[in-house]
Amino acid sequence: MTQPILQVKDLYYAYNDEKTALNGIDLAIYPGEKIAVVGSNGAGKSTFFLNVNGVLSPEHGEIRFKDIPITKKTLPQLRKNIGIVFQDADNQIIASSVRAEVSFGPMNLKLPREEVVERVNMAMDYMNLNGFADRPPHYLSGGEKKRVAIADIIAMKSEVIIFDEPTAALDPLNANMLEQVLDQLTQEGKTLLVSTHDVNFTYRWADRVLVFCQGKIIADGTPREIFTNDEVVKKANLMRPTMLDVYEQLVAHHLLPKDDKYPKDVEEFAKYLKNHFDE
Amino acid sequence: MSNHTHHHRHGFKKHSHDTGGSSIDYLAVTSGIRHWSPEFKVGFSLLLLVFCLFANHPIISVIIMLTAAFITLGLGKIPLGNYYSLLTIPFAFIIMGSLAVAVDFAKGPVGDWNLFLYWGYAYVTKKSLMNMGCLILKIFAAVSSMFIMTLSTPSFELFAVMKKAHCPQLIVELMHMIYRFIFILMSVQRNMRISAESRLGFCDFKTSCYSFGQIAGNLFIVSLKKANAYFDAMEARCYDGTFAFLEDESEKQPKLIVFAVIYFVVLIAIWWLVH
Repeated sequence: MTQPILQVKDLYYAYNDEKTALNGIDLAIYPGEKIAVVGSNGAGKSTFFLNVNGVLSPEHGEIRFKDIPITKKTLPQLRKNIGIVFQDADNQIIASSVRAEVSFGPMNLKLPREEVVERVNMAMDYMNLNGFADRPPHYLSGGEKKRVAIADIIAMKSEVIIFDEPTAALDPLNANMLEQVLDQLTQEGKTLLVSTHDVNFTYRWADRVLVFCQGKIIADGTPREIFTNDEVVKKANLMRPTMLDVYEQLVAHHLLPKDDKYPKDVEEFAKYLKNHFDE
Repeated sequence: MSNHTHHHRHGFKKHSHDTGGSSIDYLAVTSGIRHWSPEFKVGFSLLLLVFCLFANHPIISVIIMLTAAFITLGLGKIPLGNYYSLLTIPFAFIIMGSLAVAVDFAKGPVGDWNLFLYWGYAYVTKKSLMNMGCLILKIFAAVSSMFIMTLSTPSFELFAVMKKAHCPQLIVELMHMIYRFIFILMSVQRNMRISAESRLGFCDFKTSCYSFGQIAGNLFIVSLKKANAYFDAMEARCYDGTFAFLEDESEKQPKLIVFAVIYFVVLIAIWWLVH
């Protein structure tokens, strides 16, 4: 078995010593995984991300990156390799021009100038931000700001990238573009964690789902395992993906054979139907 | 900085972006001479300002006013209406200030024009009027030479120039953050105002006062929260206490410098002749 890239053991965290936001998280994440993190508002997703990045320090528990325990000394190493794209791009963008903004991470990594320039250009290319270099961020649209926020992290070349509710506040076109970026990052071997409320997206994109509920992970498995488990769906206030419902209804009414194909999206479904009825 | 924020507050004309602020900043970003190196623009307008004050001659002032307007309007393509309304900002100060130069008081009617004011005379002489005219021209020339810089150099480029000029790091960093926050808070405030307005929050004076107070209070809390969120995001990207951004290596633009030198030589020659 491969070594986990990130390992979390028995993680506890509380804001202001009152409400525990994280209540014993145990988790191992392997390189290249596509993980969707779901759960209702206030379930602890964002808190978990900030802990994993070392911005918040847990009450107790341990985080290991590639088997190196995270301490004050190794913290920069952790941050370098785990990037977060924050939910609200306006809370992330600090510089007064797009190019300066994207360069903030690489500059903090103390890279030589040429390397910074190269990475900034690469990241802006990646997110299709050419031509925006000298624009102040407050003259960008919401979708453009989101792209800048993602370019910020891409420029850091982190191995693990966390997206905190990336599709919130994006129009369908930009959401679509985001999915393409996620696919591209996966192809490059990045490990992705995406928190989302979009069950359909989770169902078609993820290969592993973490369900947060009241500071705990109550379920961890493939999208199919999670969404067919009515108890988990109910407890975490999730909804079943439309594709799953449609497929199961068709099977239940004997319109399709019970062959456990479970198509993930409309495209796959169409292919499946074509194969099925052509035979 | 005070000058800078002042302009922002003035908000003389709304543009179509939904960012809540428009202004000099937006004009500077869209200026036609944006690509000139910021060091050159800052240096040029400062030199022009100093020369204008030092020369202290109406003809020089007029020439500077015209050339500055040419650079900003002709080359920078700043809309005339915006330029005009920006020039009117210092107008009130100029009128008040120059009246004090022109008008004097005496016991008897000693001036070319006198106004009897029971216990004495307010008078104006031809010379004092001339002085006033020269002063007004000089002020407008000085203001328009500074506009070359402000209407073509976005703030962040200005900060970079300051940093290169060895302005203390702390001040430059603060300016960066303040600049960014001005826009964030403006848009937050604008959204809150609109949402209050849509719920009849400004229907009469009393309600308006109440809504204003609520918004101001909320804005304070939001700004604290935003500052926290910012810091988290900065930490997540390995922030270690110093702001570091990639800055453009300034291009050498020898053509511009040659033009600037020629321009100044001509200015000095004219000044020599009329002096």
